[in-house]
Amino acid sequence: MRLLIIEDDDTLRETLARQLEGEGFAVEQASDGREGQYCALEYPIDLAVIDLGLPEVSGIDIIRAVRDAGKTYPILILTARDRWQDKVDGLSAGADDYVVKPFHFEEINARLSALVRRSGGWASSLLTAGPVALDMSRQEVKVNGDAIDLTSFEYKIIEYLMVKAGEVISKTELTERLYDQDFERDSNVIEVFIGRLRKKLDPDNSLKPIETLRGRGYRFALERNQAA
Amino acid sequence: MYSLNARLLISVSLLLLLFFGATIVVLDTAFRTAGERAREDILDGHLMSLFAVADVDPDGVLEMRRELPEPRFSTLGSGLYAAIRGGDDSAVFESRSALGLGLPVVRPASFGQGQFDSLELDDGTPVLALTIAVNWELSSGELKPYVFAVYESLDGFNAQIASFRQQLFGWFAALALIMLVSISVLLRGLLKPLRQIETEIGEIEEGNRVSLSGDFPNELTGVARNMNLLIDSERARSDRYRNTLDNLAHSLKTPLAAIRSLISDLGTSDGDKFNEQIDRMDEIVRYQLRKPGSSAADNLVLAPVPVEEETARLVDGLRKVHRDKAPDIGLSFAEGVSFRGDTGDFLEMAGNLVDNACKWCRQQVRVIVKPAGAGGMIFSVADDGPGVPPEAREALLQRGMRLDEKTPGHGIGLAIVKDIAESYGGHLAIQEAELGGAQFTITIPPQNA
Repeated sequence: MRLLIIEDDDTLRETLARQLEGEGFAVEQASDGREGQYCALEYPIDLAVIDLGLPEVSGIDIIRAVRDAGKTYPILILTARDRWQDKVDGLSAGADDYVVKPFHFEEINARLSALVRRSGGWASSLLTAGPVALDMSRQEVKVNGDAIDLTSFEYKIIEYLMVKAGEVISKTELTERLYDQDFERDSNVIEVFIGRLRKKLDPDNSLKPIETLRGRGYRFALERNQAA
Repeated sequence: MYSLNARLLISVSLLLLLFFGATIVVLDTAFRTAGERAREDILDGHLMSLFAVADVDPDGVLEMRRELPEPRFSTLGSGLYAAIRGGDDSAVFESRSALGLGLPVVRPASFGQGQFDSLELDDGTPVLALTIAVNWELSSGELKPYVFAVYESLDGFNAQIASFRQQLFGWFAALALIMLVSISVLLRGLLKPLRQIETEIGEIEEGNRVSLSGDFPNELTGVARNMNLLIDSERARSDRYRNTLDNLAHSLKTPLAAIRSLISDLGTSDGDKFNEQIDRMDEIVRYQLRKPGSSAADNLVLAPVPVEEETARLVDGLRKVHRDKAPDIGLSFAEGVSFRGDTGDFLEMAGNLVDNACKWCRQQVRVIVKPAGAGGMIFSVADDGPGVPPEAREALLQRGMRLDEKTPGHGIGLAIVKDIAESYGGHLAIQEAELGGAQFTITIPPQNA
């Protein structure tokens, strides 16, 4: 998941970015409103954390611009002001949730996970489709109740595909959303990881959880067990 | 206190009364005096004609040589009478007009001097009498005293005076009325700008206008400009106050957030102790900096908050935040609800209460808004959660008290709601809801416009 943090306090932003990278997010950072708005509108983003009190362009204006541009990814507001008017303004402008400073990292992480799964139409953090169960809070995947041992990058791929279960995800999108910007983007690597995932999830090739659509990308093909 | 309009009209009416009253007295006196003078001249003429027709023969007997020239002397009861009396008051001659009337007898004080008297006939008719006493010299050289008198009834004259007065009063009353109406029309025009200022201030109070328009006569432009400056500076002061608090909150809480994330990043074993201190600092900052934005006294600055619209916006936002729990939030608004105050204050109260209800409810939240008197508001939020036991209610309103740590929240929200409600002269009450949980009710009395 590619996440954008727009926060003008360097220490807070960098620490938060590092912690979220540790949770498997590919993190973009912006330190003021103008740069943040550019990133929010131009980068392939799955999720954004936006501080309301930003220099140059206010957080509310960025949220409005994002929604006006037709982008629907979830937005979490960070607010120090802690006034309901700000929260309501932010939520009305198009944000999905808020966290008040000083927050606990666990709180922001839980909110972000919830936003990610809600954006994929999942009601709980345990995503289940057929015999495959992915627990977002524990970053754990089970097939028929047996835990599957995945590398962190493999987990990122299956989480992304499962959150968007049913949608076709192109290789480019997977590369963009899962790699940090600095890494070299090589779509062959994605093919290798998909191959490994298939083997681990479906060793006897009976489930076929990940479908390849030639020239278009991949799709998590198993039917969701939860109501969307 | 009378209105300017009434004051001016009362003053002008009194002045008109005084002025017209004096004018009426002067005109009446002048008319009467002139009338009386004319009466006297006429009587004088009649007396002269009486002299002209009277004569005394050599025997000393007075006789009338011919008829008096004025025909009224010969007409019964004509109002004009003549009489000549001897020195012993015996009637020597009486005009035919005086037949049976009994003319009063006058003895002039001196000889040869005409004397006017206002008298009454036997039947009460007022008359003006001119009498003169003369010594008639007979051919024998003897002097014989006579009194010549003419009388004229004042009935006609008095009727004339009365009619004159009636006309005078009539005309002046009409004139005064016309003047009062004209002045009142004039005043309406003159006072229009003041009335406009009054209307515009009313509109500002109702929130339909930001400042006074500039369209006033020169004399009032300064007043309007100063009034606008006052309103603007009051608004700016209020905004500045809020911004200062916001900036202070931002500049205090962002470092706290940074410290907290650094602590969690470092993974120190004393992390909980640090976090506890950060929580305490955060609560103090939050409580101290979330003072009411305005007080109820700032009427010119405060506009009515669109309560229904703002609550709907808040609830929409909270539905997103609590999407997983998906509480059933019911809204009910009665007609005539008004909250004149700061939108931020309203949202702070409503936000804390509805958010709390969403956190604590099992499934149902009810927001009921009703008017309190004319222009006040009762804002109730009820839920079907565990409720608040009566003995714990007071403690819950105190700053920083939390009954249970299981639901996230800073625990000072209710204390803030209570503070804000009280700054508007209202209060916060906790009861048991019909749904089974807690019901929090803010009552805000009407704010004096």
